[in-house]
Amino acid sequence: MTALTAPAPAPSGLRRVRALAAAETRLLLRNRTAVVNSVLLPLFLVAVVPAAGLGGDGPLGPRLAVTAVAVTLVFLTYYNLVTTYVARREELVLQRMRSGELTPAEVLLGTAAPTLLVTLVQVALVLAGTAVIGEWSTPTDVVLPVLALLGGAALMTLLAAASTSFTRTAESAQITTLPLVTLASVTSGVLVPLTAFPEQVAQVLRLTPVEPVVELARLGLAGQTWDGRTVDWAGAWAAAPQPLLVLAGWIALATLVAPRVFRWAPRR
Amino acid sequence: MQLTRPAPAAGPLPAGAAAPVVEVTDLRRRHGEVEAVRGISFEVRPGEVFALLGVNGAGKTSALEVVEGLAPASGGTVRVLGADPVTERAAVRPHLGVLLQSSGLPADLTVRETVALWAATLTAPRPVDEGLAQVGLTDRAGLRVRSLSGGERRRLDLTLALLGSPRVVVLDEPTTGLDPESRRTVWALVRQRVAEGAAVVLTTHHLEEAEELADRIAVMRAGRIVLSGTAAEIAATQPATVRFTLPAGAPALPAVPGAQVVSAVPRVELHTRALQPVLTALLAWADAHDLVLGGLQARAASLEQAFLAVADGADPS
Repeated sequence: MTALTAPAPAPSGLRRVRALAAAETRLLLRNRTAVVNSVLLPLFLVAVVPAAGLGGDGPLGPRLAVTAVAVTLVFLTYYNLVTTYVARREELVLQRMRSGELTPAEVLLGTAAPTLLVTLVQVALVLAGTAVIGEWSTPTDVVLPVLALLGGAALMTLLAAASTSFTRTAESAQITTLPLVTLASVTSGVLVPLTAFPEQVAQVLRLTPVEPVVELARLGLAGQTWDGRTVDWAGAWAAAPQPLLVLAGWIALATLVAPRVFRWAPRR
Repeated sequence: MQLTRPAPAAGPLPAGAAAPVVEVTDLRRRHGEVEAVRGISFEVRPGEVFALLGVNGAGKTSALEVVEGLAPASGGTVRVLGADPVTERAAVRPHLGVLLQSSGLPADLTVRETVALWAATLTAPRPVDEGLAQVGLTDRAGLRVRSLSGGERRRLDLTLALLGSPRVVVLDEPTTGLDPESRRTVWALVRQRVAEGAAVVLTTHHLEEAEELADRIAVMRAGRIVLSGTAAEIAATQPATVRFTLPAGAPALPAVPGAQVVSAVPRVELHTRALQPVLTALLAWADAHDLVLGGLQARAASLEQAFLAVADGADPS
């Protein structure tokens, strides 16, 4: 048996992910439709949210921002990543990438990078939009919405990876993503306020995957609890443990499930 | 080297040879109810090319995927450079170059961008330009992958597999879809890597490729290795063939020791494992009876003949 000897220092995981992420971003920028859509969605939100009265009660700026976080995570991050992972799997690109030095997690993260970047850019564009239309208001807390965005992005990435197990083609993602998209739309409190449901139902809905993201974003950006109470910074943090725990629980569950059900190559 | 029939291990190696860098022992792999690989064993040493042959579905790719670290074994062990390629992936990968049977590359990256991306993920990549030149893609470097021909994509894939100067190279049907010139380019690259000390495991449907490149060959059928050895040793498992046509009125063919008559008068076919004595006896008989054996052909056994015999389900004999 010939033993392994250490070669030159291996590139760090970060460097490998950065290389793949740069290539994926280049691919995204070469897709004009995707680039245009990335800019149009925030503009759409800035136009629709005030008109439709979405995002709960209170000033328009925080409502816009809360809606942007939830809508972007579900409709862009989750949906795009399901289609991207499935398309790359069916094109045999994922398997090829996995056959080199990139680890499986690095392949998934590098592939997701442009979508995650666009998620951040879109939320930033909406925030800028609120300032442009004169609706910006100082957040009650900055950390909670950042945690909501980052935790939500991690959860959506993991749920997208898990959803590829029952998505055969990129086209069929339009159907297979519907359960989460519908669930998130109805139960997250962004389109339909939880106060519209009976108390016991609302408490159950607070355990669904996207609700804690909305709840944390609203606590930080609007200083509002899920049931519409206005709170200060201390009150926001006092109300934060449950959504933080629920979000962490979903991330932990998705971390367990996604690697077990994810397929790297098309079904034989 | 001994020939094994059927072979639990694909041929012992010469004494004093370098230690094996690929060790496969009683490997099994299941796909649901189907056992695709049923206990195969082989070793490959530095500077050696080992070829796995078999018809589609024989289990070659299923076996290689375990060696590549892309799938766990259902049973048995696989060691690449002494480490498990699945559970000790990080230790193995910098030394392993893989060309999958079919794989995809991002279609809208250029050829150069693709090689540069791959290089950025490797521990010790060779220069991008060198990789491109090696497979004759320098003048295609600015084109997007989607506009390459199938053969060009295969060459691009191959240069990625070899870009990290791997000590172990796994090539799953490396020349499928390539024109004869490209195929020779690939052979030259493989030989160069082997000369530099790499161990190569390859599968192929081109028997001449196995004869050209492989030091040792194993023929798989239904998940098992049923023949192994050098190309000559495997060919020798099959009889040589003598064919001729007897003229009208010729006397009956005598019994020739060591020859089996497969078809008789007037178009005779004999099978034998002792070609020279049989041919000598036959010619002496023809001479004694003043006969001309029309269209006389004597053909030694070939790897193809052995392969087809295995594919047909015949027991190697």
